[in-house]
Amino acid sequence: MVERIDCPCGSTDGLSFPPITLLDQENGEREMKRFSLVLAILGLLLTSMPVLAVNTTQPLTVNMAISARAKLTLGVNAINFADADPDSSPSILATENPVSVTAKVRTGAASTATLTHLAGGDLTSGGNTIAISNVTWTVTGAGFVAGTMNKTTAQSAGNWTGSGSYSGTYSYSIVNSWSYATGNYTASTTYTLTAP
Amino acid sequence: MKKLSLVLVIGLGLVLMAGNVFAASATQGLTINATVANTAKLTLGVATIAFPDADPDTTPSIAATQNPVTVTAKAKTTNAGAVTLTVVTGGDLTSGSDTILIGNVTWTVTGAGFVAGTMNKTTAQSAGSWTGSGSRAGTFSYNLANSWAYATGAYTATATYTLTAP
Repeated sequence: MVERIDCPCGSTDGLSFPPITLLDQENGEREMKRFSLVLAILGLLLTSMPVLAVNTTQPLTVNMAISARAKLTLGVNAINFADADPDSSPSILATENPVSVTAKVRTGAASTATLTHLAGGDLTSGGNTIAISNVTWTVTGAGFVAGTMNKTTAQSAGNWTGSGSYSGTYSYSIVNSWSYATGNYTASTTYTLTAP
Repeated sequence: MKKLSLVLVIGLGLVLMAGNVFAASATQGLTINATVANTAKLTLGVATIAFPDADPDTTPSIAATQNPVTVTAKAKTTNAGAVTLTVVTGGDLTSGSDTILIGNVTWTVTGAGFVAGTMNKTTAQSAGSWTGSGSRAGTFSYNLANSWAYATGAYTATATYTLTAP
């Protein structure tokens, strides 16, 4: 059934519109719904843009090999003990005291780096000798160890846990004695720094 | 079998490489020099000795009041170096114009290497001898031959000990 509805706007200027019927109204609502649906889909499409954007990742592995490393530096290559009266100088200090020492190591965090000292022999002057055990050293610096020189067994001169650069000093002294034969004595010794 | 061999080779290679990769050491030489020069040092326990007056009959030999006198001879020399200790007097015992021959003064010793003897004003007398470096300790005990022939007086003489380390 078609019901006639007069246009509320009327016609005052002679223009006229076709009358709006209920059928037209239903169609309009349907169109409106369709338009709303299209808008909704369009909205979904717009909001879904990021989801549909191309996104890719590429892993990158970074490798760095840190090998164990040890570097030992003494401030001097030789030390000297001057002659002195054993009564007034029962212990003679090396002229070079204090001798700076730097032990640089790279090792495991829980690994112990060791610094040892071994004398090649006693102090000798021709056929005369002074036992190398008469030479001792004191230290400054964390981890450095004081000791007595030995020609058969390497003596600890320092130890540290983990990597680092460790600095300190050694101060050498020799026990003086009237029993030493005169002469110019020499001995070669070796420090060994080990980073396991 | 080939795979197993490959794995073994790679594994063994890694183990061998690990020896170098995971351990390191560094060495630093240090030369030690010491100079020992000739040195001689002599110490007597006293600087003066004195002989008191005594009856020659009851005390034919007068012991010095300071006996025994300690003596230490310290020397640094070569292993074969002959260390010698000698004594010589500047003259006889004198008191004004009176004299007592210095040859009347003798000494005895204790301690290895020390030598007993008689004072002499012209020739240095051995008082000790050793070989090589060392610190030697002993004593000297002095005596004066007493005599009725001595003129009264306060006598004095100077003696010099010399320790030599060649």
